Amino acid sequence: MIIYAGPLILGFLLGFLLGTRIKENPLSKLKFDASVYAIFLIVAVIVAYFIQPFPYYADAPLASGFVACAVGIIFGKLIFGRQRAPQEIEE
Amino acid sequence: MSTILKIFVFPAALVIMCLGVLTILGGHITPGGGFQGGAMIAAGFIFCLVVYGLKESPFHLSHDFLAAIESIGALGFVLLGLAGLIFSGFYLYNLGVNLYGIVPAFIQNIFDYPDPIHAGIIPYLNFVVGLKVMVGLSAVVIAFLGFKEFEDGEEEAQE
Repeated sequence: MIIYAGPLILGFLLGFLLGTRIKENPLSKLKFDASVYAIFLIVAVIVAYFIQPFPYYADAPLASGFVACAVGIIFGKLIFGRQRAPQEIEE
Repeated sequence: MSTILKIFVFPAALVIMCLGVLTILGGHITPGGGFQGGAMIAAGFIFCLVVYGLKESPFHLSHDFLAAIESIGALGFVLLGLAGLIFSGFYLYNLGVNLYGIVPAFIQNIFDYPDPIHAGIIPYLNFVVGLKVMVGLSAVVIAFLGFKEFEDGEEEAQE
């Protein structure tokens, strides 16, 4: 089976960039824990399955760029998405 | 804002962003592209900013980040155009596809997009335009919300 790397790599890169920006305010009452991201990943796979791949990209039964972006967001959040520093909140 | 909105909006914004990324990735083969996808990603950011407010939003776009991504987007577009000018003599020539057969094979391989239709530099152009539009539209809304908070603070100080 051929795997088309283009959408996977660019999708992951964009998702990773977005994930690094998830920086919650430690003073806020809102907490988004791991369950939110688990549900997001499940929903992303379901949505990608119903979107279907682009024409000519018949390497998978789902939109691979969509799933790559979702995985990239989670990786970006895990690696760089820390809580905001106090001086950032004051700004 | 209501509690239901506060629970629902963050995961929904993530899905909207993924859809925006998909629109960018399919720009060379389906309707949409860099601008439309970038606007959809910005819509995800704006959705969070409107519901949670500037300080409580789980997405934090700093001034440095906005400036860096805007610059990378613009520079990437110009550099891809200049690469075409250098290797073919035409600005923004699609090096990866090489319609006129005027580019050496190894340069063509560098800019060839690894997909079934070999779209050349078009997906990369969509990518950089998407970055630029994403931060551009987000920056406008962040600035407006910042001005509003500043005005509200001044009014409270006068009272």
